[in-house]
Amino acid sequence: MIRLLLFMLSALSLNAHAGLGTPLERLPIQDSGRVKPFDTFARESLQLIYGKRSFEGRSASEVVFTWLLIPDHWLSTPLVEVNDKGVKDALKITSTEKYFSPQALFTNDRVALIFQELQSLRERQEKLNPYFQAVGRLENQLALFQAIRAGVALRLVPDPATDRWKSVNELEGDMRDSFVKVSKGFVDSIANAPDAKTAEASPEFAAAVSEFMDKARAQAPDKYADMKRIDWEEHLNHFQPFQWAWVAYVLGLIFMYFAGFMRQGWATKPGWLFLVGGWILHAYGMGIRMYLAGRPPVTNMYETVVWVPFMCVFFGFVLYKVQKSKLLLVCSATIAIFCLILTNLAPTVLDGSIQPLEPVLRSTFWLSTHVLIITISYAAFFLAFGIGDVMLFYYLKDEERYAQEIRIGTQSIYRAMQIGVVLVATGTILGGVWADYSWGRFWGWDPKETWAFITLLGYVAVLHGRIVGWIKNFELAVAAVLSFSLVIMAWYGVNFVLGAGLHSYGFGAGGVEYVTGFVVVHLLWVAYVSTVRYGRPKKAT
Amino acid sequence: MGKIQPPFSFLASVRMAVVIILSLATITAIGTITEARMDAEVAQKLVYQSIYMYLILGALAVNLISVMIDRWPWKQHHSGFVLAHIGILLIMFGAWLTQKYGVDGTMSFGIGEERRTVVVHDRELNVYSSLDGSSFQSMFNGEVDFLRHPPTPEKPFIVHLGNEELKFIQYQHFSFRESEIVPTTNESDGPAIRFQLENPNVNLTQWLKREKRRPAAETDLGPAKVILAQDLPAPMGRNAVIVIEKPGSETLDYVIYNKDNSVRKSGKVKQSETVDTGWMGMKFRLLRYLPHARENIKYVPSLSNSPIATPSLKYVFNGEEYWLGLNTVMRLYLADKMYAVSYGQRQIELAFPLRLKAFHIGKYEGTDRAASYASDVEVPGRGQVNISMNEPLQFQGFTFYQSSFEKDERGEPVASILSVNQDPGRWVKYAGCVLMIFGCIAMFYFKRVKWRRPGRQHGVQLDSLKQAGS
Repeated sequence: MIRLLLFMLSALSLNAHAGLGTPLERLPIQDSGRVKPFDTFARESLQLIYGKRSFEGRSASEVVFTWLLIPDHWLSTPLVEVNDKGVKDALKITSTEKYFSPQALFTNDRVALIFQELQSLRERQEKLNPYFQAVGRLENQLALFQAIRAGVALRLVPDPATDRWKSVNELEGDMRDSFVKVSKGFVDSIANAPDAKTAEASPEFAAAVSEFMDKARAQAPDKYADMKRIDWEEHLNHFQPFQWAWVAYVLGLIFMYFAGFMRQGWATKPGWLFLVGGWILHAYGMGIRMYLAGRPPVTNMYETVVWVPFMCVFFGFVLYKVQKSKLLLVCSATIAIFCLILTNLAPTVLDGSIQPLEPVLRSTFWLSTHVLIITISYAAFFLAFGIGDVMLFYYLKDEERYAQEIRIGTQSIYRAMQIGVVLVATGTILGGVWADYSWGRFWGWDPKETWAFITLLGYVAVLHGRIVGWIKNFELAVAAVLSFSLVIMAWYGVNFVLGAGLHSYGFGAGGVEYVTGFVVVHLLWVAYVSTVRYGRPKKAT
Repeated sequence: MGKIQPPFSFLASVRMAVVIILSLATITAIGTITEARMDAEVAQKLVYQSIYMYLILGALAVNLISVMIDRWPWKQHHSGFVLAHIGILLIMFGAWLTQKYGVDGTMSFGIGEERRTVVVHDRELNVYSSLDGSSFQSMFNGEVDFLRHPPTPEKPFIVHLGNEELKFIQYQHFSFRESEIVPTTNESDGPAIRFQLENPNVNLTQWLKREKRRPAAETDLGPAKVILAQDLPAPMGRNAVIVIEKPGSETLDYVIYNKDNSVRKSGKVKQSETVDTGWMGMKFRLLRYLPHARENIKYVPSLSNSPIATPSLKYVFNGEEYWLGLNTVMRLYLADKMYAVSYGQRQIELAFPLRLKAFHIGKYEGTDRAASYASDVEVPGRGQVNISMNEPLQFQGFTFYQSSFEKDERGEPVASILSVNQDPGRWVKYAGCVLMIFGCIAMFYFKRVKWRRPGRQHGVQLDSLKQAGS
């Protein structure tokens, strides 16, 4: 029943056509500490090497499998994405091409040289600058391509003796014959098709794959994959709930815009339908990921960038119940669309693959209290930021005409900030309790906890400034936008810019220029609106 | 107006609070940047435990207390404000207790070893003297903080030792150790050789230096040992090249042992001469022979804050300059006596020993990525206890946490490192946290009640605090 349902949902898939690789997609493979469908492995591998999840319209499973079958063809195909200008310079590559054939890189005698430099930096345990991070990526790309080409990365058969599955080059006897049959089925499917590009999997090929799976399971039934999980993950790959979620949010946003700002009452109902529908899809996607990973969805940058807007939309609904203003729905939906599109646009920075956790993080209780609460506070502050942005727009247009909207917006910002302050204080303290419980110190001025603390101080200063009248309605909107820079620093900056401290399991690279740009644009926006507003002749309020 | 009258009313003002909060945010932000650029220790000492930080925290405490006195007598709507502010004061008090009376250190032991010492972060300097080289007398023992108060040639840190003195003139927080062997004419300095072992696969050049008071010095190169000795040692079941000095002669004797304790070869060798060892075409070349040599240890500044860099001290003794690295001991020889100078982390003796029985690493399936660490530790009176990540051991007021481990070249764990902690401020801090959170919630709750009151068009410009104060 579930499989049927999944299949029907998958039929809605955004992928154009399934093609030759289809039978392979469900094939369980052991990779990076867990068992996953071959489709996931192929998508992740292609993403790393080529920078996209499909190759010239062909599915990842199909492409990656042919690296093993016809390696010579792929060796000379421009496949490896090299973007970094520094790396290109170091390799003395002058062309503006983005993709290079593995052969060209393997034969480039500068490659070994820069890998050696990287290795010596690693031995000295030095922090890697963006150039060396790019060198590291190239190293991973080439190593993975080699490992797939040689078959060692394709661990498809469980071994009763150890935890490590056998790779296809280690197979013997019957298992080996069975795999040869799979390969043959694949090749025959191409050979029998009128055009290799549109070739479909033949029934013989599909049968060979399922026979291989049965035999692999028989090797060590208790170690083999749980096919229910594999099917759910396959479904997640094909259905892409987060993409559908933002599409629904966009539609909801458009209808709500008409309903709220154009006074088109008819648009309210479809607006709600799409917003709630989007939110349910959003929840659905996260639910599957939680089921697959077995932990709350807040263990890396990608997961939080999906989770925070989800809570943002939730706060939008809650505040709407109090204020009855569609403005809140529009703001929260915009934030959600922004974040979800971001995960699509920057897959290398926001890596969506499900990775094993560092030992210290393997505590579902603390993850689901400390981290979850901190990230929910980010959502509240994000919403305040979004509303603040719109308020500034109203101030710029006509303060008097939009007095009603400004009043609602101000109250919502204030309320969101209060919720955020309680949550960030609680979350930070829980982080201290966790640290005390597992490291023996409540507070050690670790950069991540310190920036959560600075965020708290920033917003507490705003709330106190409001008490003494330094911060009136306009300044509150300004503060909502400016203080969010602190959240960005705590959320992104500590891991991607400072790169110091005990939270090293969350470190990443990339996107610094865009995030800085985002912050700077908002600073300029605030400066512009403030100049215009303070420049106006004072009117009595 | 409140109870606190001008000119002291500013102490209780919310404006003052905002200024303090922003100062606190600024200084801690500087701290995180310092940590990223330097390291956690520098950030701790120079920012988080600096006088500025204490001034800001002191001002915060004064402000919190004043504002509560100012709002006396408290009414019901004050409950959130009072709880939150008392909570913050308690957290600060708890943090002070921890800082003052707590223990925060590490304990590391190899598998099978027993330990009762805890290494803490404080640094100490020790100087011992000895007349005969076997019994030592402590000449100086003291806690030092050279990071905060670095010595300079103008303002040195001096340790007086009777007729001599040790003058510390420089501290480098990030430095790398370098050593060189230099010839001397001092009879109390031992000999040194520089040799090369070479075959088509191996080419290795190394110094080997013997202290005068030791009969032999050796270096283990894996397949074979090289030994510089006064007299021929007995075979040790290893392939070995033994070089024996003859006082007053340029020529040295050599003996080559096989693994089975037989003598493969023996003869004489001079500087620049080569001996064929017969092991896979391996040649032993004596590059230098110094009858008297000294090892000059230098610490050169590290350009970046590399995590393998180490702190070091430069000092003057008897007119000569020496370097001393963190957690190292240096011996200084005089004609009639010897000093041992050590600079290292302070150790605390526990009242009970712990023994590491075993260490386990759990791995993610089919990878070398660690999923869990755990130490099996024998605790007196409790038997074997398992300490793992997120599952510490509590014993006699101390808590032991799995922190990290050491591994050998093959990646097998050989030692476990535990964090050891005693925190008398823990429950004060926790109580403060609970009060603060409930206080915040109560404050916002009371505000919500007012907020909904009809006729208030301009949001929350006035608030419970302000109303009480005005």
